[in-house]
Amino acid sequence: MEIIQKRADQDVINTIASIVGQDRVRTSKADLYVYGFDAGMHRNCPDAVVRPSSPEEIAQIVRLANRKNFAVIPRGAGTALCGHVTPIAGGVVLDMQGLNNILEISSGDLLCIVQPGVVCDHLNAALKPYRFFIPGPASSEAATLGGMVATNASGAKALKYGATRDYVIGMQVVMPTGEIVRFGTKTLKNSSGYQMEKLMIGMEGTLGIITEITLKLAPLPEKTAACTASFQKLLQAGQTVADIIAKPIFPAQLELMSEMCIRAVNKATGLNLPEADGMLLIACDGHPEAVNDEIRSIRQLCDKNGAFHMQYTEDPTQIEALWRGRKQMIPSLSALKPEFSTVMLADDMAVPISKVPEAVTGFIEIQNRYDIYIPPYGHAGDGNLHTKVLLDPENPDHWRQAEKAVQEIYDLVLKLGGTVTGEHGVAISKASYFKQERADAIPFMRAIKRTLDPNNILNPYKIFDWEDSFLTHLRYPVEL
Amino acid sequence: MQDKYIDLETLKQEMLTCTMCGFCKQVCPVFLDVGWDTGSPRGRMTMAYGLITGEFEPDETFRERIFQCTQCTDCYRRCPSSAKCPDVVLAARRELVRRGFINPAQTKLVENVCNTGNIFADLDVEFPEQNGEIPLFIGCQHLSRPNNTKKTIKLLQALKIYPKIIREVCCGFPLAIMGFEKEHQEQKSRLESIFPMNGDPMITFCPSCLMHLKKEYGQPVQHVLQIINNKLDDAPLDMIGKTVTYHDPCDLSRGAGVIDEPREILRKIGCDLREMTHVKKESRCCGGGGGILTWDESLSDRMGMARIAEAVNTGAEMIVTSCPTCEQTLKKSARNYAEKNSTKPLPVRHILDLVIKAIK
Repeated sequence: MEIIQKRADQDVINTIASIVGQDRVRTSKADLYVYGFDAGMHRNCPDAVVRPSSPEEIAQIVRLANRKNFAVIPRGAGTALCGHVTPIAGGVVLDMQGLNNILEISSGDLLCIVQPGVVCDHLNAALKPYRFFIPGPASSEAATLGGMVATNASGAKALKYGATRDYVIGMQVVMPTGEIVRFGTKTLKNSSGYQMEKLMIGMEGTLGIITEITLKLAPLPEKTAACTASFQKLLQAGQTVADIIAKPIFPAQLELMSEMCIRAVNKATGLNLPEADGMLLIACDGHPEAVNDEIRSIRQLCDKNGAFHMQYTEDPTQIEALWRGRKQMIPSLSALKPEFSTVMLADDMAVPISKVPEAVTGFIEIQNRYDIYIPPYGHAGDGNLHTKVLLDPENPDHWRQAEKAVQEIYDLVLKLGGTVTGEHGVAISKASYFKQERADAIPFMRAIKRTLDPNNILNPYKIFDWEDSFLTHLRYPVEL
Repeated sequence: MQDKYIDLETLKQEMLTCTMCGFCKQVCPVFLDVGWDTGSPRGRMTMAYGLITGEFEPDETFRERIFQCTQCTDCYRRCPSSAKCPDVVLAARRELVRRGFINPAQTKLVENVCNTGNIFADLDVEFPEQNGEIPLFIGCQHLSRPNNTKKTIKLLQALKIYPKIIREVCCGFPLAIMGFEKEHQEQKSRLESIFPMNGDPMITFCPSCLMHLKKEYGQPVQHVLQIINNKLDDAPLDMIGKTVTYHDPCDLSRGAGVIDEPREILRKIGCDLREMTHVKKESRCCGGGGGILTWDESLSDRMGMARIAEAVNTGAEMIVTSCPTCEQTLKKSARNYAEKNSTKPLPVRHILDLVIKAIK
């Protein structure tokens, strides 16, 4: 793929410094190197890193970018997993972490207004006294709201509480041609024309730079209770998940650990989880009586489907103990093969809920054909599955195997009626599979991009505009 | 082999273990102050890996970020993959020092230790030598305050703890933490030649000495608070009667796991403890760790003031700690915080001073 560079020269950088102030512009080797990464596996250096302090400054930079043809890449905490903020054609990274004020909390209106650099957990700490919260991704202690909106992030509570999309009711955006506009409202309901604020969700920094977000609030649950259930057969666990959803009960969390994950946790931590083909970890929250009813029904369903070991608690410290295995799973999976490293591949596909056991079994079969490790786990309740791909990132053969295995995984996911990404987004690492999934929609997505960003200034070469496989611009020194 | 990053190479797997998730960012006191990703543990890991792959050349920003790390180790505590970022930073420091990237303050400290045996270059340091039951390693900081140290030794004796005190020199911790490995090894030899490191249990006043004696000399060491706590049950005490907050020194809480003892002691001597937001294993650096005082005093002070702000928010009458470096750093930051906010400085006390006051 030919990448047309969209670089910012020294004159441009000087002009930007005159807009934001010299102390908010960084061009040292160290800064350019570090801002070439996110939490994914790709790398390319920008020409400058800039911390703007207002939408007006951002608008000026974007207008300059249109005149001088350099790329602008908005970036939050850099916790995205697919190369979202890797400045693939060079240009200027806008570090939005400094725009981190909570502008308004209005519990009576069921909303809050924040700047994009606010960290999700910081917002939730501020909302706690009002007894509200915003459900966040697993990275909520680091991820910023701007990044969450731009990737439509979600986490383990998405089954009951939905994704970031479900909480955004308005925003201020600097458009790719430099206009500062407001989309959406401060009202919970809105039939006022195109829902442009929704268009901005999941756009991965390609359609605008979010400078303010209005979010609907969710009530903090009064009570939480949790249980675990172990099954001899993965299909029994899968049937239990389907039965719970069909009841209908929407647990706050419904996680699946496969046999490989259980084995890894036991080996690494000595927690001695029951050896099983599948283990469900379930949490219900809400009004105390409703929680009691739901947990009672869930335990009956686990029993009916042959759970051979169950644990239940509503004590907060015991809940933590019960979930310790799940929390220890990520480092434990890494410890399966200490000389291998985790790379962010096949990291968040989703399948219809009833297809979870088939998907997990299929992933393990695929893994067994290769020398790399691909242990699967996931949010079984909403069909969102993860794998933790472990390989030697400096071994070219492992990457070639990973390319084949990942293709097989996505072929299976799409065959089962799933999507290549449930909560992380597309960017670079999933672009080719995304195109396989959404071939008919891409011309329309591209038309929107070309219309709003005629000079292709904002975060170029991402999503449908990434033409290569994931094997270029890797952050590891490997010849492929 | 100067052009190769030998020390860092040995830690390559740690850098590859880091998944760049960024969970370390919001616990790193340096990142929370400087705000740029180069100042985060993840940023340091990224640059270190770049050095050994040859994709990154060290520059002034890199040196600044590597030496700004306070070695508080909170990033390691929080890391879901248990990647040893503090170790990578130390290796990077050793590489930089080997290449001559040293500032005058560091040179002065190294010369002090190597030429005089203590960090303050005090040639007249007093050793209250005495026979006893358990070897006590006093440490440079406490040796620099002889009157106070004598009182503390009397306190131990009053509690029927009989320390054996002989001459000592610096354990080498400051040299190791700044990356002066050659000088550190030489200092270790000097200490071992005068102070028996034979595996017998010993005690110390200083959390950093404690961790260093454990890690580098393999000694079974306890902080004196661990012993004092048990002895206080039978001791006649005056109640201090103050509302206090307690700052956990990084080396004592996250390092040695000494968390409950100081709190129990405070309770026993009649203090009403009000906890800060970041305490115990999740304590925040006072701004004095990792040799930062020789590198970036301004950053150190801002971190210290952030900690003082947390303490002030508890409504406590004083902040108590159990590390001489934390005590000094917090005292300075309390004064600066007071000046900035036009208030009276929050008193800072070493817990041992409170115990001395409480013993009848």
